[in-house]
Amino acid sequence: MSEPLSNIPRGMRYYFGAEARIRRVVEDTAMSVFDGWSYEEMTTPSVDYYALFEQGMGRRQAERAFRFTDTDGRLLALRPDVTSSLARAAATLFAERERPLRLCYAAPVFRQKPQSHAEWRRESRQIGCELIGAANTEADMEMLAIAVEVLQRLGFGQNSYCITLNDVEVFNGVAEGLALDDSSRDQMRLLIDSRDAADLQRFLAPYAAPDEREGFARLIQLSGKRETLAEARRLITNPRSVAALHRLEELWRIIEALSLTDYFEIDFGDVSGLDYYTGLTFKMYLSGAGARVGGGGRYDQLTSNFGRPEPAVGFVFDLDALTDVLARSKNSTPAREPERTVVPIRNDDSTAIFFEAIGKRARGERLLIESCEVKQCRN
Amino acid sequence: MPELTIAVAKGRLQDAALARLACAGVIVSEAALASRRLAVADETGLFKFIFVKPADVPVYVEHGIADCGVVGRDVLLESAADLLQPLDLKIGRCRIVVASPHAKTVMNNFGMLRVATKYPRLAAEHFGARGLPIEIIELSGSVELAPALGLSDCIVDVVETGRTLAENNLSIVEVICESTGRLVVNRASYQLKAKSVANLIDALSESMSQEAKA
Repeated sequence: MSEPLSNIPRGMRYYFGAEARIRRVVEDTAMSVFDGWSYEEMTTPSVDYYALFEQGMGRRQAERAFRFTDTDGRLLALRPDVTSSLARAAATLFAERERPLRLCYAAPVFRQKPQSHAEWRRESRQIGCELIGAANTEADMEMLAIAVEVLQRLGFGQNSYCITLNDVEVFNGVAEGLALDDSSRDQMRLLIDSRDAADLQRFLAPYAAPDEREGFARLIQLSGKRETLAEARRLITNPRSVAALHRLEELWRIIEALSLTDYFEIDFGDVSGLDYYTGLTFKMYLSGAGARVGGGGRYDQLTSNFGRPEPAVGFVFDLDALTDVLARSKNSTPAREPERTVVPIRNDDSTAIFFEAIGKRARGERLLIESCEVKQCRN
Repeated sequence: MPELTIAVAKGRLQDAALARLACAGVIVSEAALASRRLAVADETGLFKFIFVKPADVPVYVEHGIADCGVVGRDVLLESAADLLQPLDLKIGRCRIVVASPHAKTVMNNFGMLRVATKYPRLAAEHFGARGLPIEIIELSGSVELAPALGLSDCIVDVVETGRTLAENNLSIVEVICESTGRLVVNRASYQLKAKSVANLIDALSESMSQEAKA
């Protein structure tokens, strides 16, 4: 007995109509912004060695990929992310190119196992950019400025989106100071990630004084602006974390000067991707989307996997998540049905009809050929 | 326009959850509750409440349909939902346990345990961590009947007073975890409605610490 072909595999879907138009507009908008900041588009292989992604994303993330074997038995994967491949290209193909490298992409990624119930898709389209070979705050700010421009050009204004900022070294410094082993470090990370202040305080009991514990637990619960940084400065004194706080402060100073503080929050509770990022991390949230619509950060060890260590920072937007929000909001520009009136052309002479059609197209007009079969039906 | 939508687990936890919220100044009127509507507003109109089955609370919150939820930790662990859990509300305290009619011998006497439960994920994790092979028999209610009827060797279930266990000749083999009602928050709402969420958390923890002092 054969499977019914009407079934679509879990996590896969079609796009058409308004949604397909929105996807086109969003992608074109983002890519033109990237182009405006001099980012060069790159297409990476859809299928690559699994080992590449294991190196690039870490084993836990890479294991979510669809995997299969090549004719020589080597393990292949359907691209679960684009960054790994770009990092390899930067270290090999573009080894001799002048730095910094500015690269961008729009490509589908495939993940067999979803991360949360809300992210049910197994194919999603990532739009992103990478700035490779620059370590300074200006490079971090360039990423944030690009992300803001993309969102604004898509029609998102104040109170409709929020970008959260953190630096993984804040957590790493604290964990190092407590001399945690790997499993307790992971436990602390999970407690912070779920903002479980009570359990975090219990966890910290053997390590820190009560007022410090309370302060730290509160810190990971509240996202905020400059005052959150000041509070963190007061509570956290180890040099590794302090250096990270200093970097965040420097970045915040620029954000303030640009009058962009309404769109940003400092969020010390964001500790996902610790084994991947090495400095700044940020996440994009949109009103109307239950999960984040994008994120990024600094990963200075990524290209060293391919023999050429250099600083790098990048981010991605999830095109499908953006589309979901835009498709549901009635007043969004891309969702509107374009005004397209087209008078069907008809002609029984099959040569004449194409003379007319090609002539119209040469003048840039839209046309629709009324097919003969339809006419017959009507008759 | 309500600022926050809160999903509350119907049943065991509902009254305690509403009492906690009332102490924190979020009051749902008797009339609104008596109406049996599935979505009601509080007296200020700032909060909208939806009452759903416990297992559906994490679903509504994870998808962002509800910004916050009140649900037991047992349900959260079983759902493995990706949610923030900023506050333990210390209501509806219970334990998830392994129980059996032959509590002393059950862990040693079987090459393969048959476990009846409403918590298949928790049960699999618990026994899996110890390398015990089990067959999970998933039930949706009256789990305590399963051993007596010969469906399973033991059960994994939630226990409040232990009376139901005793009535069915079951005793506790081991405790898997403690559970209390939690405030859960959607990840995006936590950022986009930061002020409202922070105010709610503050009001709740304030009223709880006052209660602890009294």
